[in-house]
Amino acid sequence: MKRRTAFLGLAIATSIALVGCTAADTGSGSTEGVGGEPVTGGTLQVLQNTDFSHLDPAQGFDGGVNNFYRLIYRTLTTQGVGEGAEGTEIVPDLATDTGTPNEDATVWTFTLKDDIFFEDGTPITSADVKFGVERSLDPSISIGSPYAKIVLYMPEDYQGFYISGPLDTIETPDEKTIVFHLNQPYADFAAVVGQAPFTPFPADDESVTTTSIDQQPIASGPYRVTEYQRGSTLVLERNEHWDASTDDVRKAYPDSFEWTFGLDGATIDERMIAGQGDDQNAIAGSVQAASIARIQTPEIQERTIQGLQGCTTYMPLNTTKPGMDDPLVRQAINLAVNKQAVKDGTGGSQLADIATTMMPPTVAGFTEFDLYPSEDFEGDPEAAKELLAEAGYPDGFEFTLDIRNNPKMQAQAEAIQQSLAQAGITVNFNLIDSATFYEVIGTTSQQHDAAITGWCPDWASGATFLPPLFEGTQIFEKGNSNVAQLNDPAVNERIAEIRAMTDVEEANAAWGALDEQIMELAPAVPLLFEKAVMVVGSNVAGAYAHAGFSGGIDYVSVGLASAE
Amino acid sequence: MSTVPSELAVETEPKGVLPTGSAPTPARRVISTLRKSPAVVFSVCVIVFIVLLAVFAPVLAAITGWDPYEFDPTAIDSDLGGVPIGPFGGISSSHWLGVEPGNGRDILVRIAYGARVSLMIAVSATLITTTFGVVLGMVAGFFGGLADQIISRVMDFLMAFPSLIFMIALLSALPAGNRPALLVLVLSIFGWPYTARVIRGQAMSLRNSEFVEAARASGARPVKIVFREVLPNLRGTIIVLATLAVPSYIGTEAGLSFLGVGVMPPTPSWGQMISTAVGWYAVDPMFFLIPGTFLFLTVFAFTVLGDNLRRVLDAGDAA
Repeated sequence: MKRRTAFLGLAIATSIALVGCTAADTGSGSTEGVGGEPVTGGTLQVLQNTDFSHLDPAQGFDGGVNNFYRLIYRTLTTQGVGEGAEGTEIVPDLATDTGTPNEDATVWTFTLKDDIFFEDGTPITSADVKFGVERSLDPSISIGSPYAKIVLYMPEDYQGFYISGPLDTIETPDEKTIVFHLNQPYADFAAVVGQAPFTPFPADDESVTTTSIDQQPIASGPYRVTEYQRGSTLVLERNEHWDASTDDVRKAYPDSFEWTFGLDGATIDERMIAGQGDDQNAIAGSVQAASIARIQTPEIQERTIQGLQGCTTYMPLNTTKPGMDDPLVRQAINLAVNKQAVKDGTGGSQLADIATTMMPPTVAGFTEFDLYPSEDFEGDPEAAKELLAEAGYPDGFEFTLDIRNNPKMQAQAEAIQQSLAQAGITVNFNLIDSATFYEVIGTTSQQHDAAITGWCPDWASGATFLPPLFEGTQIFEKGNSNVAQLNDPAVNERIAEIRAMTDVEEANAAWGALDEQIMELAPAVPLLFEKAVMVVGSNVAGAYAHAGFSGGIDYVSVGLASAE
Repeated sequence: MSTVPSELAVETEPKGVLPTGSAPTPARRVISTLRKSPAVVFSVCVIVFIVLLAVFAPVLAAITGWDPYEFDPTAIDSDLGGVPIGPFGGISSSHWLGVEPGNGRDILVRIAYGARVSLMIAVSATLITTTFGVVLGMVAGFFGGLADQIISRVMDFLMAFPSLIFMIALLSALPAGNRPALLVLVLSIFGWPYTARVIRGQAMSLRNSEFVEAARASGARPVKIVFREVLPNLRGTIIVLATLAVPSYIGTEAGLSFLGVGVMPPTPSWGQMISTAVGWYAVDPMFFLIPGTFLFLTVFAFTVLGDNLRRVLDAGDAA
């Protein structure tokens, strides 16, 4: 599951279209988005490279698809709207508030709003929410957000509704009230119930099966799926039973949405820059590096938005490999990497900021530091050589880097190879096919000494960032997200301590400090905070990059300036 | 691969117009005829230039001061997605043919190193396919029978393959290892039947010629006949086939690298440069044009030379 998250980061790195983008403040973007206030009505076109991973919210788990889910599904809570921190704040959605915990935050109670319905007009009850969670725990589909599995109190062998039946530890005393029992104190549980697997579905295991939702979703949000051809088109139209007065988050301006999948990245850029015909009503993911120079004209700048993806592109160093197990070697690599060159290869300052910390600035508690400084981030080969000599490698060091077979990652890898060569470190590439890349680096027996990958937080908290990447207990033979395989007692202990904190603010600050503690061990080289730069059609209004969806344009707020 | 008239070279020497220096004359005649053609002179100049470029690539790197892998962040504009600074893709006194967008590597030096890779692969593959093609083709054509059956079926089998698709599949499946060597191997596997087929046809017609009969009557062993009597008569054909094979392998290698299964980065390769340049065509067309021009000129020069050689040799034989 965690691998899915990694996949998300990576997916972002590669498939432009999937990329939702986040708007941390990047200085140059306007906070209003482009085009002013949208009108109600019209059809918004979305041009996309790859199709959504899954329409079933129990299965899909990346920034792009989570952004899409908000159009058709509702959860007890959700992320806010607006750029930066406003967008990543957790706000009530189906529930009247963000939940009431008991004293030690192990039992959480939520109350549902009135006038909430599925697309067929039946009211959404607490039993439907409970059923949705139980359904999502079925082993055949529980490949999405893992938090329900991690924090809900349940029998060890619980396998979802269809195999194990109802879960007693989710109580529904009446139609409007739902009570969750957790297996640990969890102060951030309000964010957990905003995760996609908490989407309600009619509590009827005859018509709703493990596979039915992926084919025909049942909408609780403002739109329903009326046409879907996998890999080619997806059409959403209004769900008449959605009541705007119950929803403070979704504006739902357009009458319909139309996705076109399978377009080449360069083609999308070309169409968005030209902006002819229906493309005036279109939005798309981030442009390619080669298009950056072409969107600098004032006319196109007016309809360009940008924001941080909220993810970190980094190079985990496998701490179990000979040589790499020495912190001095890892520190030397950290010192020697020319991050400026990596940034240039990725598309320069418009598409990436240099990272010196693991946590991106969009995560609460982000603390800025640079333990391995160099002038203009160009690397310090001399200092690296000294460290290597100290570590017993005066004649240099050699390692193999796993990279994905795509131009951007190859450019990043070449930049790393070139800068490490100056410190006497030889980097060999192991080129892995895009389709199997995350599987290979997530399998401990197959990964090599290092890799280039990315990570996006599931919500804006260090709790969803550092533990999956660096906690010793999260090393798995397969589907491993702790690619560095760091298993440091002090780090593990500290993670457990922070988890137990009931004060969210205090915990956030502690995650920031832990980031620095981890980087002292240098289990990874933070490379970049990549940005999304998106050109929208001239008739699009209210578009801004949402920090919670990897910088993607927030679908529930975007609309058209004029609906013909 | 183009076909060569199978009658070619059949009756030349046996007619043996009397011993007025028959051995050196054809070569001289061919060269003097080719010299008169401006297209051939141009082609030879291009080939010599490319070969010199490849051979002296390290010298060029030393003169310009750029290593083929060295980044030059000052030559690109980080704020514009990494486009080269300056006109025509960053052409300047320090970068004579500009730089690659995104990293600022010197294009001229990478072209020179790319020429090494291209030529080395193409020439090696040509040597291997010509050797195998000639030997197997002669054996099949001269001896006929079972040997011919087996060799011809293998050739049919290999030629029936959609070779490009098969090369892509094979190169993707093989472990990374030594890429150039793998490329030579794969190109050779699918390349030799084209040479062998032509040679076989010629060997078949030579088999019954008078001078072979004469050699046989005088008691020469078959292997000796093949290499002493038949092979010299195939000289012209072999030269033409080899000259035409080189550009086809250069093109195929570039194509495979373009598709991402050929030479692996960061090793410079023309096909790879063109592939990278695709996305940049609108903002930096020079990045596409320069390697494209080198690839075109090289393939063009070899092809023109090969065609003219064939023409001259054909004419000579007919005379």
